[in-house]
Amino acid sequence: MSNNIDLSIKFCGVKFENPFLLSSSPVSNTGEMVARSFDAGWGGVVFKTLHADQVPIIHPSPRMNTYNYGSKKNIGLQNVEMISDRNLKDNLLDFLYLKKNYPNKVLISSIMGFSNDEWAYLAKASEDNGADMLELNFSCPHMSVEGTGHHVGKAFDLIEKFTATVKKTVSIPVIAKMTPNVTEMIEPALCAKQGGADAISAINTVSGISEIGINDFVPKPNISGLSSVSGMSGSIVKPIGLRFISEMGQCKELSLPLSGIGGIETWVDALEFILVGASTIQVTTSIINYGYGIIQDIIEGLQDFMALKNINKIQDLVGKALPNIKSTDNFDFKHQGNTNYDLKKCVGCGQCYVVCHDAAGQAISWDKEKRRPILDKDKCLSCMICSFICPVEDLITYNKMPLTWNRKQAPVMGKIFAKDLKYKPFCNQT
Amino acid sequence: MQCSKNFHEMELGFDLSKAVAEADRCLLCYDAPCSKACPGDTDPGTFIRKLRFKNITGAIRTIKKNNVLGGTCGILCPSENLCEKACTAKLKSEFNILGSDNAIAIGKIQRFLVEHGWETGFKPLKPGKPRKEKIAVIGSGPAGLSCAATLAQHGFKVTIFEARAKPGGVLYYGIMPYRFNKSFLDKELEDIKELGVKIKCNTPIKEHKGIEKLLKQGFSSVFIGIGLWQSKSFHEKFDKEISGLYPSVDYLSGICDQRFKTIEQQIKDKTVAVIGGGAVAMECAEASVNLGAKDVYLVYRRSYLQMPAEKKEKIRILDAGVHFILLNQPIDYLIGQNKKIQGLQLNRTLLGKVDKTGRQNPELIPKAKWNLKADIVIEAIGNKPDSNSYKLYPSVKLNDKKLIINEKNTMTSVKGIFAGGDIVQGPSLVVKAVQDGKNAALDIINYLS
Repeated sequence: MSNNIDLSIKFCGVKFENPFLLSSSPVSNTGEMVARSFDAGWGGVVFKTLHADQVPIIHPSPRMNTYNYGSKKNIGLQNVEMISDRNLKDNLLDFLYLKKNYPNKVLISSIMGFSNDEWAYLAKASEDNGADMLELNFSCPHMSVEGTGHHVGKAFDLIEKFTATVKKTVSIPVIAKMTPNVTEMIEPALCAKQGGADAISAINTVSGISEIGINDFVPKPNISGLSSVSGMSGSIVKPIGLRFISEMGQCKELSLPLSGIGGIETWVDALEFILVGASTIQVTTSIINYGYGIIQDIIEGLQDFMALKNINKIQDLVGKALPNIKSTDNFDFKHQGNTNYDLKKCVGCGQCYVVCHDAAGQAISWDKEKRRPILDKDKCLSCMICSFICPVEDLITYNKMPLTWNRKQAPVMGKIFAKDLKYKPFCNQT
Repeated sequence: MQCSKNFHEMELGFDLSKAVAEADRCLLCYDAPCSKACPGDTDPGTFIRKLRFKNITGAIRTIKKNNVLGGTCGILCPSENLCEKACTAKLKSEFNILGSDNAIAIGKIQRFLVEHGWETGFKPLKPGKPRKEKIAVIGSGPAGLSCAATLAQHGFKVTIFEARAKPGGVLYYGIMPYRFNKSFLDKELEDIKELGVKIKCNTPIKEHKGIEKLLKQGFSSVFIGIGLWQSKSFHEKFDKEISGLYPSVDYLSGICDQRFKTIEQQIKDKTVAVIGGGAVAMECAEASVNLGAKDVYLVYRRSYLQMPAEKKEKIRILDAGVHFILLNQPIDYLIGQNKKIQGLQLNRTLLGKVDKTGRQNPELIPKAKWNLKADIVIEAIGNKPDSNSYKLYPSVKLNDKKLIINEKNTMTSVKGIFAGGDIVQGPSLVVKAVQDGKNAALDIINYLS
C-alpha cells in the first residue's frame, strides 16, 4: 500500500479495520469464500442470509441475467436468487471457522425468519456462534411467503415487531436492511429504530426486468419459460442507493449509523456513499464481475485520496456532502451561465451541433467547410449536454456569466397566428 | 521460407460483439466524413450508425443497396486511404481524449455486416418490377457485376457474358484466396444471381464487332466491363519461349485455376524475383512466399515511398519476408540452356530530376550492373487492355492507351454502349469499378426511358 492512512472505523461500537464488507449475497455464501475475501483485504462480511431450515431453499436455474449497454457489458445484474441454500448448522460451523482464523475481521450474520420465534432463534444461534453483529433481511425481493423478505420491508409494523424481538434476544448490535422498492425509506427506517435497530443498511436490489427475449417473449433469466420481476444491482442502481442513504443521513429523527450499498465498484463510488452518510460500505455485484481483488484498488485509491486531502480518518468524511443537498427551491436562480468552447481541441465530429439543435437551445450553427461548431453564447442554455457528448475532454466547459447577462429567447414560430389564439392568462378564482 | 498460413483460408472477420464494440467507438459524426470519402458511396456513416442503434438488418441493407460487392470491398478496399482516412475518431489521438486513438475499422465492420446477412439469411435486395428490355454486360468483374445487379433491381433482364470459366474477373483470377477466398466470392455472386442476373461463363465474344452487334441481337444496351488482362512487359520483345518468366496476369490467374499444382511445384524452394512496385507486384510476391519459395525478391527501380502500392500492403509484404531491392532497374534477363531463365541483370539507380508526374526519375548509375539469380521471374509492371479486344468494338473511341473514352457520363461514342471499370479508368480499385457499374446502370435506365 502506498501510505499509512488508517481506514479503520467504528460502526455501532464495533471496530472495522476498513469500512469495506461483502454484502449478503452469492459472494458471501461459504466460509471458504469469505476467508479468501478476508485474505484479499475486505474488512468484514455480511454472511449470506441464514434461515431455520423450515422450508427447503432451492435456487431457480438459471438465476441471473446481465444488463449491457452497447459494447459495455455488465453495467447491471438481475438475479432471482434466494437466501442461503445451505443448512443452518453448516453455516454456523463456518462462523466458528472464520472467527477462529480471522478474529479481527467483522462477521455480520444476515438472518431471515418466517415467524417471530424464528427471528429470535436465528439471532441467538448467530450470537452464540461468534457473530459480531446481525443484519435483519427485511428486503430480499425474491421471497414469496407473506411476512418474509421485502414483504416485511413494506409492512412497517412487522419491521418494528421483528426488530424488537431480535433486540430482546441478543446483545450484539443489530442492523436493519431496507428495500428500495418503496417511495420513501425514512418511515420503515424509523420503524426499525423504534424496534431498537442500531443501524440501517440500504439498498437491497431494485425490482426490475433487465431484458425480454424478443423471439420467445420470455424475460430473462428464462427459467423454463418463465421469469419474474426481480432484483437489479450493479452500477445502474448507484444513483438510487445514494438517494436513499443521503435522505436517511439528513434525517435528524433517524440519526442512526448507515451502511451504504448499491453499485459500488471503485473507491470513488465508496467515497460518494461515505460523503452522503454511510460509515460502512457493502459490495456484491462488482465482486461478481471482477472478484475479491477489487478491494486493493478501493483501499489504495481511498488512502491516496485522503493523503492528498490531508484527511486522517474516514469518520471525517462521513456525511460531508449532506449540507450541499437541498430541494430545488433553495437554488440561486439569479446566476446564469453558458459554455466555453476551446476549439483548438475540436476534432469536428459535429455531435454538439446535433444535440444542441435537437435537445437544447439551437445555439450552435455548423461550418460545413471547416467542420467546426459556431457557438452563439447568448443562446446557450448551459444544459451542458454538448459537453457530455463531446469526445474531447475539457473542450466544452461551464462559464458563469455576470448578473447583467440575459439569454436570448427561442423564436416563436406562430406569431402570425395571433388572431387565431384562444388564450387568457390564468387567474386564481379565490 | 515457410508458408505461414493455409493458402486457401482467409483470416476470420469480426464477430457481432467485436463489430458492436467497434461501432461503439464511432463518434456518429454529423455529415459523416467517412461517407464522403467512399468512392463507391457505400455510406459507412449510415451503416455504422444503424449498427450502433441495433438496426443490423438496416445496416446490411444500406451496404448492399449502395454497393452490391460490399463484403468484397470490406476486405479488399485500402480503407485506410479511403473512408478510414477521413474518420474523425482518428484525429482524437492528437489529444488526451476519451476512447481509442485509431480510425474505426470501417472495412471490417462492413465485411462483418455482409457476412452476418448471409449467416442469418437476411436478403435486403429484391428484383425490380419486370421490364421487357434485355441488357448485355460484357465481363463479370466488379464493374459488370455492379452494373448487372443495379439493372436487375430495376427489373431489367441482364445477361453477363464471361470469357473465362469462373465469374468474378479479377476477384476470382487476380486475388489470392488467403486474402479473399472463392467461397466468399460465391456468396456475394449468389446475392446477384438471386436478382435474376444470368452469368454465362466460358462465353467469350470473338466475332469482329461482336460487342456492337449485340445491340442488333435483342439487347437494348451493352455495358463493357472487360478490365485489363494483359501484362505490360519490361522486355520489349517479350519472348514467350523463355521458361520461368511469368507475366503477372498469367501467374496470378494460374494460381487461381487448374494450374495451381504446377505453379506451386515451380515455386516451392526456389528463388523468385518480382519486378514492380504496385498492388499486383505485392500480390505476386506474397503469393510466392506463401507457395513456399526459398527467397522472394521484389525489384523496383525507384524508392520505397514512390511505390504505388498501399503502405499497409508494403509493410505486410515486408513482414512476410519479401526482400525489397529498391533503386535497381532491370536491364536484361539472364537466360540459360533450354531458354530457362536464370535471373535478372540489374543496374543500380539514383533518383534524379523531377519528371512530369512530379516524381524524381530514377537514373542509371554508370558501371553499377549486377546479376540477381532467380529461378522464376514475374513481371508486374502494370496491366493494359487485351491487344485484340478493341476489334470487338471498333466503332468505340479509344485513347492512346487503348482505354475506352466515355463521352456522355458512362456512354461511349456509340449510342447504347456503355463502359466502366479498368477498361475506362486504367488500373484502379474494385470499389471504383463498382461505382462505375452502378453509374452506368443508372445511365442505361435514363437512356432507355
